Amino acid sequence: MDNNIAIKIEGLTKVYKGFWGRKKVLALDKLNIDIQKGKIFGLLGPNGSGKTTTIKLLLGLIFPTEGRAYVLGKPTDDVATKSRIGFLPEESCFYRFLNADETLDFYGQLFSIPRKERKLRINRLIDQVGLEFARKRPLRQYSKGMLRRIGIAQALINDPDLIILDEPTSGLDPIGTRETKDIILALKKQGKTVLLCSHLLSDVQDICDRIAILDRGKLQIAGTIDELLSRKDVVEVLIRNLSDEAISEVEAFIKEKQGEVISIKTPSNTLEDLFLKIVQERNSSFRDRNKRGYEFDQIGSEAMSRSNKTDQLN
Amino acid sequence: MRQILVIAKQTFREAVRNKILLIFVILSLIAICCSFFMPVVGGSGERIKIVESMCLRSITFFGILAAILISASSIPTDIEDKLLWTITTKPISRINLIFGKITGFIYIIGLLLLIMGSASYALIRFAASRQDVQNGKELIARVKFEPSDLQVTGKSAKNIGDVYWIEGGGRGTSKWDFEGLSYKERPGELEIEAKLLVESKKRFTRKIPINIKIINPYTGKVQVESIEVSNNKPASLKLSTKTLEGSEKLTLVISPENPGDFIGMNSDSLKVFLGEKSFEYNFLKGLTIISSQFILMIVIATLGSTFLSLPVNILFCLFIFFCGNIIDFMRDLSTVINVFGAHEHDHGISDVVNKPNTIVFFLNYILKKPLLALSYVLPNFKNFNVGHYFIDSINIPYRKIFASFGYVLLYALICLPLSFVVFKRREFT
Repeated sequence: MDNNIAIKIEGLTKVYKGFWGRKKVLALDKLNIDIQKGKIFGLLGPNGSGKTTTIKLLLGLIFPTEGRAYVLGKPTDDVATKSRIGFLPEESCFYRFLNADETLDFYGQLFSIPRKERKLRINRLIDQVGLEFARKRPLRQYSKGMLRRIGIAQALINDPDLIILDEPTSGLDPIGTRETKDIILALKKQGKTVLLCSHLLSDVQDICDRIAILDRGKLQIAGTIDELLSRKDVVEVLIRNLSDEAISEVEAFIKEKQGEVISIKTPSNTLEDLFLKIVQERNSSFRDRNKRGYEFDQIGSEAMSRSNKTDQLN
Repeated sequence: MRQILVIAKQTFREAVRNKILLIFVILSLIAICCSFFMPVVGGSGERIKIVESMCLRSITFFGILAAILISASSIPTDIEDKLLWTITTKPISRINLIFGKITGFIYIIGLLLLIMGSASYALIRFAASRQDVQNGKELIARVKFEPSDLQVTGKSAKNIGDVYWIEGGGRGTSKWDFEGLSYKERPGELEIEAKLLVESKKRFTRKIPINIKIINPYTGKVQVESIEVSNNKPASLKLSTKTLEGSEKLTLVISPENPGDFIGMNSDSLKVFLGEKSFEYNFLKGLTIISSQFILMIVIATLGSTFLSLPVNILFCLFIFFCGNIIDFMRDLSTVINVFGAHEHDHGISDVVNKPNTIVFFLNYILKKPLLALSYVLPNFKNFNVGHYFIDSINIPYRKIFASFGYVLLYALICLPLSFVVFKRREFT
């Protein structure tokens, strides 16, 4: 097998057996995919397209009806290989009575990571996913987004070579989504392979090197983002500070050169950009006030008094 | 090995934090304490017997219930909550996961047993101290000996069913041989307990006198004692261990004193108790045997949890525990069904007999055979019963402990490989 291949899928087929009147379901139909090492691979598709089934087959959670798959050069049932894999499931399923520290410690122990090293990694990961403020709180008190963050941390506790992420940004706010994307890009820089499964197309487009689109268990298309999305017959030029007259001149010039102007419009920011800008400004002013001697309590009491005044007015 | 302990620790922590262990501790302690307030009819020693019996029953009941609920629910809950998605994708084999879970369940039940056992022991000691019994002397563990040989002789000797009958006045005697009475290691008294059937030609006679001739085969010394016995009630005679001097054998010759008085007996009618062993030690042995049935239940529940859903698995375990306690009844019932069938065919009660009889067919194939098969396949939980040892103040022999653990090991050797095979092929969809 090619040493450059992290995941090799050969004719993988999965049929969920019918039982007691339930129909058989063909979840995956002869899937063939190679995922190269050090790349971010996006698996796309609508609900029920076979994305999660593919991931479960790769992780040995279910068994193929036909075909084979190799992860990091070994069959999917090889237990030792799992020490090089990090996995974030679609649903955040953890022991709800443990706190963030205990959760990561438990998973760290399953990887037989020495105590000191475990402690260092836990601190680093909790900081990285932004859960420092809630690390001693039991997970049952966590929001969906916070659970997602701890899920990402547990997937990285073993410093894996291959990270399989199923809907990593589901339930996260835009900041969390951005941070998660940054983490994934940082992993790529470290030479890790990431298999990302999502139906949020913008997320995939932002960070993936290659994608594959599945539908009803069948591979529809696969390739690099550039190959699949670039339009070589169209050119987009973004210009700042141009008057209407100048725009008309540019349009005339293009026509003279036998080009076709499809549209001329003023581009707007995305909602994500606006949200991030507002939150970041708010955070920076909050930090400034802290520097000037404001305490959390004061801010809280100000907010309370404002709220009380509003109540009185009402 | 390390991963097994990690899973075990996690399973234990889960039970503690979910407060399920706390609930069992509270309920069992309430039940144990209630045993002290049970109404008692009889002598001062009876209360201690009642407390002992109730405590052991409470320990068994709550221990089994905890073993079933905790071990039958853990894996199905983890599967349902998709917790196993994150665990089985780590470098831990499914076999180790099962071993870890079982070890965790044993930790939990071990702690529960420790708490219940300590509370029971304290309560029994307290009850003994309150009963005006010298230094809790009722709390003894006597070593029981059964006869190696029984000979019934004389003109009047008759065998009716399993019972040998003899008449008094020199018309019949019974000779009992006992062996292995190593008295030097066992300080205390030699106690002879006779539980005989009694008949008399005299009207309104409830008690008859019997002579017991105690012969030391080594020294040749003979000692004759007389006690009164009632029908099917134990009567005892206490002697000094000096009677045994130089010998580990003892011969007892028993006969009714008066003509017209009859005693009926079989090989279980006469027992010899020798010396006293520490009650604490015996109690510990009792708890060990009780704990072995918890392990058996854990193993069975774990097997069930590899392929059954949570409610079905709990029902499955309760069914096994219930049937495991009525194995003898199941065998008796299957015999009775057989009698019905044979009876009809042998005697030809009606014309129906010559035709295929639906009821007999139903009883035979739907009830009798499954009942009989189940009675041989299911574990017999009566094997772990130790209550009678404490009620009769008898020392629990080591072979009983080994037999209990051997029995558990036998089932574990069947259930565990089955669990591994099933769980290894289990899909987490």
